[in-house]
Amino acid sequence: MNSLWSEFKKGIIAENPIFVLALSLCPALAVTSSATTSLTMGLSVMFVITMNNCVVSLIRNVVNPKVRVPVYITSIATIVTVVQLALQAYAPALYDALGIYLALIVVFAIILARAESFASKHTLIPSFFDGLGMGVGFCVALVIIGVLRELFGAGSIFGVKLLGDWYNAPLIMILPAGGFMLIGYLIGGWKMLVQHMEKKEAERSEA
Amino acid sequence: MSTEHTPKEYSIFQIAINLTITCFISGIIIAGVYFISHPVAVKNAAAKEMETMQVLVPEADKFTPIEGEEDWYAAEKGGETIAYVVPGETKGYGGKIGMLVAVNADGSVIDYQILVANETPGLGDKAGKEPFKSQIIGKTSDHLVVTKDASNKEDVQAMTGATISSKAVTKGVKEAVDGVVEYVGGVK
Repeated sequence: MNSLWSEFKKGIIAENPIFVLALSLCPALAVTSSATTSLTMGLSVMFVITMNNCVVSLIRNVVNPKVRVPVYITSIATIVTVVQLALQAYAPALYDALGIYLALIVVFAIILARAESFASKHTLIPSFFDGLGMGVGFCVALVIIGVLRELFGAGSIFGVKLLGDWYNAPLIMILPAGGFMLIGYLIGGWKMLVQHMEKKEAERSEA
Repeated sequence: MSTEHTPKEYSIFQIAINLTITCFISGIIIAGVYFISHPVAVKNAAAKEMETMQVLVPEADKFTPIEGEEDWYAAEKGGETIAYVVPGETKGYGGKIGMLVAVNADGSVIDYQILVANETPGLGDKAGKEPFKSQIIGKTSDHLVVTKDASNKEDVQAMTGATISSKAVTKGVKEAVDGVVEYVGGVK
């Protein structure tokens, strides 16, 4: 049980897909100008990466190693298409907001990376937790970026106006340039957090 | 990269079969989901279009498609046509801008709604909001021209920092209005 928890936890902090592994930064910039779209994107990716890890883990022994990458991509594409069809039918507004980035989940580096480096070598349960952890980490990172950008760039969070009319929102936070700057600061801050945690861990093991 | 990457010869046939089966299963899953979700998506899209038109022409109680013109609707109230709702398309700063324009039979703009646009947030995307919107509303084709002269109260004032978006949206609305005027003239 302990090891499952650590599989899950590593994706959130120590190996956060965006802040530490720095994978899939392009969509992290493109869809995070508001908190709502960030959360939808995060949840979609979380679902896809968890499902795909399970599928890959289940079929890892029957897939011919020569075509394993095409097979993994087909699996990801299938899951993404299902998500896309479901969103289009039941949440058309979000589907429009995510636009092309939803389809691009298929080629997100993080998803194929987890399939290849983890799920193809582990059984179902650890793969599930690895995918879930990475997905939660991705989602948390996206929501942090989205909330900050929406707060500074538009004075609201999840569409709820927090700052009054006196707040003259700096446009740059909504534009990609501001997103880059913010992600830079967040990566720095995350690094400090991880180092702090490692130091505490080391102290504890010495004691 | 241990056990499963042991060098072993596979015939091209085995590899092909493996991929074929994968794609076949994937196809079945997608077809199944599409079968369930597509009718819902179509229904929602139609409902959304009706809702948008209702916002544009609140007095109307019925929208009937106009024959011979694609996606044109006549807004009716008690059986009489009070306005026309027509799609407009134009090219803005960030690519295509698609909109719905509601036009009176006399050729003045009632309202418009931007449906698809990729204009710069905070600058160009204000073209669908106040105060720019109220400049367009009520104007006829002659005055749907963008000006940068602040003393010109007759025409449409360009938005600061978004002249291209202002011009594009105005042009799109103007084309829709011209289309309606021509259509109404043709009927009479």
